[in-house]
Amino acid sequence: MHRNLSKIALVGLALAIASTAGVPLFAQPNTGSANFGTYVSLGDSLTAGFISGGLIETVQVNSYPALIYQQATAKTTGFEQPLVTPPGIPAILQLRSLLPLSITPAAGQGKPANIGLARPYNNLGIPGSRVHDLVATTTGGLHDLILRNPAFHNTTALVQALSQHPTFVTLWIGNNDVLAAATSGVVIDNVTLTTVASFQADFTAAVQAITASGAKLAIANIPDVTSIPFVTTLPPVLLNPATNKPVIFNGKPVPLIGPHGLLGPGDHVLLTAAAELAKGIGIPAPLGTGQPLTDDVVLDAQETATIEARLAAFNGIIASVGNQVGAALVDTNSLLKQLATSGIDVGGVTFTGAFLTGGVFSYDGVHPTPFGYAFVANAFIDAINAKFGAQIPEADLSPFMFGPPASGGVLAASTGAGIFTDQAVRNLGWIFNWPQSSTTPAPPPRRKHRGH
Amino acid sequence: MLAALGACALAALTAVPAHAAGFAIFEQGAKAQGMAGAFTAQADDPSMLFFNPGGLGLVGKSDFSLGLTEVHGTKADFHGAAPFPGPNASGQQKLLEQPLPHAYWVLPITNTWKFGIGLNTPFGLTTEWKNPDQFPGRYLSTKAAIRDIDVNPTLGWQITPTMGLGIGVIARVTDLELKRDIPAADPFTQSIVNVGRVDLKADTKTGYGWDIGFLDRYNNSFSWGVAYRSRVKVDYTGSATLTQLPTGNPQFDAIVAAQTPFNQKLPVKTSIDFPDMANLGLAFGLSPDLLLETDVYWMGWTSFKEVNITFPDGQLPNSTIPANWKNAYSYRAGLRWTTSPTSQWRFGYVYDQTPQPEEAVNPLLPDANRNGLTLGYGWTGAHKFDIALLYLDFAKRSRHKTFAGDATFSGTYDTKALLLGATFTW
Repeated sequence: MHRNLSKIALVGLALAIASTAGVPLFAQPNTGSANFGTYVSLGDSLTAGFISGGLIETVQVNSYPALIYQQATAKTTGFEQPLVTPPGIPAILQLRSLLPLSITPAAGQGKPANIGLARPYNNLGIPGSRVHDLVATTTGGLHDLILRNPAFHNTTALVQALSQHPTFVTLWIGNNDVLAAATSGVVIDNVTLTTVASFQADFTAAVQAITASGAKLAIANIPDVTSIPFVTTLPPVLLNPATNKPVIFNGKPVPLIGPHGLLGPGDHVLLTAAAELAKGIGIPAPLGTGQPLTDDVVLDAQETATIEARLAAFNGIIASVGNQVGAALVDTNSLLKQLATSGIDVGGVTFTGAFLTGGVFSYDGVHPTPFGYAFVANAFIDAINAKFGAQIPEADLSPFMFGPPASGGVLAASTGAGIFTDQAVRNLGWIFNWPQSSTTPAPPPRRKHRGH
Repeated sequence: MLAALGACALAALTAVPAHAAGFAIFEQGAKAQGMAGAFTAQADDPSMLFFNPGGLGLVGKSDFSLGLTEVHGTKADFHGAAPFPGPNASGQQKLLEQPLPHAYWVLPITNTWKFGIGLNTPFGLTTEWKNPDQFPGRYLSTKAAIRDIDVNPTLGWQITPTMGLGIGVIARVTDLELKRDIPAADPFTQSIVNVGRVDLKADTKTGYGWDIGFLDRYNNSFSWGVAYRSRVKVDYTGSATLTQLPTGNPQFDAIVAAQTPFNQKLPVKTSIDFPDMANLGLAFGLSPDLLLETDVYWMGWTSFKEVNITFPDGQLPNSTIPANWKNAYSYRAGLRWTTSPTSQWRFGYVYDQTPQPEEAVNPLLPDANRNGLTLGYGWTGAHKFDIALLYLDFAKRSRHKTFAGDATFSGTYDTKALLLGATFTW
């Protein structure tokens, strides 16, 4: 009897051990048919975790690829990024004052903090990168910080990604193929706007190369760059700076003067116009000087239509190529549309596309806040879960809504030079590939000598 | 006697808990409560006016009942889940300690016609979260209260000595209160901060409906009954008051103040369509001392589609809280054991189905399926005294889905309550 009891106890113990043996101490997320053993992200500034006109480690550590990695692997290490110390490269923009509105770069410049890594980075998002850069560019701009050529044998981002034999790749590219036209107010094929044929060739080549390597893919499309605060914040009519409401003259709002005459609905005045408006430029006499705004601070209705048509063509290519290779598709275009129209409600907080107060866009009016990046990470995770039968948990948004400031604003004396200071404008032009920025370059970041 | 009813009405217009399916409350008399509300086919004390007015037709003498149901919350917790508010977030409701009064007066006018008037609280809810300005759901609700007292005059008709019919009018006197915090993205920190509070108070309004019931005491070993209470729509008017909470940044606070109508009474309108309810009961005399009753209750909760809050003067944008509730059933069984001519023990079980779809579970009203066990005792002498205890266990309710366009708010609610009822009849 006694022996029987001890036998039963042993069997019970064995069963108890067996039942717990399969459960790791920390739950391993179910990634379905996707494998995050080696995960590499390709893209541009959005993939890099760029914020407020700069690359800074406090935000890079929560870039959307880093969050996807953490959620999919339950690990916090192993995903290497080209981290930059505060105040960032270029130094991030800070809000100095709301009234009058003044945004300036922080003093100083950050340094690369992970430059000695002896292998390519997992996050190969390169600010300013277009689809052609992905397959062809090895140096220049922030490519130098991230690709670290010639040490890595003058390889492109795509080659560096494939050299890691990735099991999973996320790709979000094409934003800069339309963004420069929108933010520079100048639409020139092959300069600020990539042609459809060129986009098709480069995008297809990149996706096919990734697929041929055996990696599974998640691909995001391009949001409507004419819905970002950089483009939507200033109306084409004169505002009363005290109330931020249109000035009514003879019962009507006062239209601003663009390079081709009075602006109408559908014409966009870019954030960079604030400096000219502050000097009375673009404002009809006698309220202003009567001189027209320069072409590079106005995106007229025709330019907008050209950009939007091109964007639709690119997104058609992305969807079609992505579907052909069985990629998870992330519809960031719809996300931004929802943000710009009804807003997105998280726990009773309505996030919108509004500049400064919407909660989603940082001080450059183009790139997301940490919350915006976390929201994008969850959109990727949802698409990956749906496509690959995975159950990767979404990232917790709370720390990004209530956490410590990512790019600190400070209340200080305004410079009175419009929304962005001249240096802020130069930094933005450099990063956004504006045609005129070649004449006013910001100091490019120095490439550090690698440790080996 | 009417004065006593009036005092009771005033007392009832205080906060009542969400503790029965949706925001309906079935504990309107201690005798019925002891049998988990399985009382439609018995309807043999004045609380018949709530459970089945058909019983009024068979009333033989004047009776007056006065009682209380004490609601004692024992648990009302929330634990968050990703994506928002996340697994590190949690909250607790203030545990309820709330007496709900009921009063009934029934009297025969002739052998055929009877009159009764009841006061009770068949609807109501209070969810109030502790540390409201830190509660993760503070931008949805820090306090929600719907308060109700029904005045229910009823006419009874004795069709035969064993069959009764009752028809009543319902005047539902109700008000409501909603409180929450106002968020904004602080442009300097790019974090979400509390910039104010909204306190919405509706004035007391009355909506009207009707009820009907039929009771057939077929013989000593079988009786059955059926009852119905109509929908009642109440249109509320009231005011919302916004107060500012400083963020520590004077520039930002000034801009918020310039754009927000703080410290004014903003006219507001809303309405609630209270559901209809039907119940059927069968009672079986198992022996001269033992009676078993089983009831099915149905509630037409599809009436509760959404709460629209409108600001007719346009100072604030209108808002809609989606609900899309479904019709729901509850199943009740009660056992009555008469141990002597003066004493009776009662036992009951209720399974109450939630009408609330997962997407609608939120800090205003987190509902769930419930299981309840009851124990009751009745003493009959010169007067009658009944007491009952209900232990109500809400199934843990998790939400991971969100209506299109509605606020994401994921997590699990865990609620338990004890209800102690006492009714004195003379």
